[in-house]
Amino acid sequence: MIAAAPGVRASPALRARLADLYGAYDAALAEGEYERWPHFFTEACVYKIIPRENYDSGLPIAMIYAESRAMLTDRIAALRKTMLYAPRIMRNLTTGIVLHSIDADGMRLAASFAAFQTLLNQPSKVFLVGRYYDRAVDDAGTLRFTERICVTDATLVPTSLIFPI
Amino acid sequence: MAAPDIDPRGSRHWPAAGPSRVPNWVYTDPGIFAREQERIFEGPSWLYVCLDAEIPNPGDFTRSKLGTREVVAVRGANGAVNVLVNRCAHRSMQVCSANRGTVKEFTCPYHQWTYDLEGKLLGLPFRRGFRGQGGMPEDFQPEEHGLQRLAVAGRHGVVFASFAQPNETLEDYLGPTMLGWFDRVFSGRELTVLGYQRQRLPSNWKLMFENIKDPYHASLLHVFLVTFGLFRLDQQSAIEMDETGRHGVLVSRRGEQKLNDATAQMSAFRGDLRLADPRLLEPVREFPGDATVVMQTLWPNLIVQQQSNGLAMRQIVPIDAQNFDLVWTHFGYADDPPEMTQRRLRQSNLFGPAGLVSADDGEAMILSQAGIAGNDDAECVVEMGGREIANVPHMVTETAIRGFYQHYRAVMGL
Repeated sequence: MIAAAPGVRASPALRARLADLYGAYDAALAEGEYERWPHFFTEACVYKIIPRENYDSGLPIAMIYAESRAMLTDRIAALRKTMLYAPRIMRNLTTGIVLHSIDADGMRLAASFAAFQTLLNQPSKVFLVGRYYDRAVDDAGTLRFTERICVTDATLVPTSLIFPI
Repeated sequence: MAAPDIDPRGSRHWPAAGPSRVPNWVYTDPGIFAREQERIFEGPSWLYVCLDAEIPNPGDFTRSKLGTREVVAVRGANGAVNVLVNRCAHRSMQVCSANRGTVKEFTCPYHQWTYDLEGKLLGLPFRRGFRGQGGMPEDFQPEEHGLQRLAVAGRHGVVFASFAQPNETLEDYLGPTMLGWFDRVFSGRELTVLGYQRQRLPSNWKLMFENIKDPYHASLLHVFLVTFGLFRLDQQSAIEMDETGRHGVLVSRRGEQKLNDATAQMSAFRGDLRLADPRLLEPVREFPGDATVVMQTLWPNLIVQQQSNGLAMRQIVPIDAQNFDLVWTHFGYADDPPEMTQRRLRQSNLFGPAGLVSADDGEAMILSQAGIAGNDDAECVVEMGGREIANVPHMVTETAIRGFYQHYRAVMGL
């Protein structure tokens, strides 16, 4: 469900399209179809996973810092072909999506996310929790993110952050 | 230092082969961990605390953890940095619960005992009682109840501290070889902090040091580094140590993505990979000399990372025998042009818990600890490059791990 902030007029059709975008994003991650992940973004885009400790202080260092869809593609190629990591299942849940504004540059949205990690023979654990600060546009008939800033509540990451959130 | 032959369990004996073997119990035994805290982290070591740039003005503070003990580094009214244990002298409550900020004094929230920036107890409510009743004893001496202060040493913007007053200056402690490499990054140029990353690894803290002292693994484990020529065994390189073996440095020069007789032994090499957005790796030379990777391991809690233009302090914070935190403080120089800052931010994709290279190391340490646990009686073989401890002009060696354990054994009495 997509809520609209006070004063923001969003048609049922637009809300449905946004719900499709957010739902399909989580579904791609949930199925481990990471090759589909870059396509939720426009070719020129910004994607960051940044701890709130840095975000609130204006410190730019991010855990993942991408400035184009190509960099997202490189990230997936690296995790598929170059990185060592123990087998795991990640589960990403997005909730409380609010459309904050619509203007010439597109839409501004925010939502909360929770990512859970299950390592082989281990119980499922909360991995990261935080806020998405998003910008989305209609890109030739398809809604895509031009910007997704994932601000994690914790700076401390248990083990390693292998898959995108 | 306590007598070197006290063994917490009376049953721990280093393998006869010496530093070319590391017994697994050094990574698991809580008694060994306790002794490490006492002799290494609270012994005569200079421990990394923070950067001057994090606390530029009087009253600015930042929290840090030295071994298992938390401290507050605060710039005093006179401009000098004080490092104080974050523990009220009254009931041991933490007096500081923010990570960073600016204060005039520290007041414990529990009973409002108040300390100045030097840790001196300024006052406490109801010291003389109320209407003649209660209060502290007549002979209570506030000067005996300050926050515990550590010895502090700084060099070119980097703050170190010690629980015991080391009998050597920071410069003597580092030694001339390490000091040269240290001053290469910390030349006195003003630093600027770009941000933090923190990672908890279910692994013994020493495995982190060993990882950076071991260039042999880098050409095999790190497909990303190898493929893109950032760091490879066949590149001109060196391992150097100080006289004790406790500090080390790994130096390498960047090469190209091409095949030769060395890459044939590196199954990691992927000649077919190309970056879709090569801006990720567009390093520029910024230091004198031709080294492109200089990783310094400074006993007992710091790795100074210079990987192309990616600069970071990696602070090792032991939690217990089988867990540690790695705290990354990424920095640049205050006079960096915007495009250099942008380059450092892009290259930071290689480091931290999601690092295209560092995540490999984190996962390797987790898997190492998993293999060590339950196999206390086994030992690790550290014989690559022979059994000697010496500086070498190549990477096919584990000599710096042997150097580390030679010093470790002397300090630990093992």
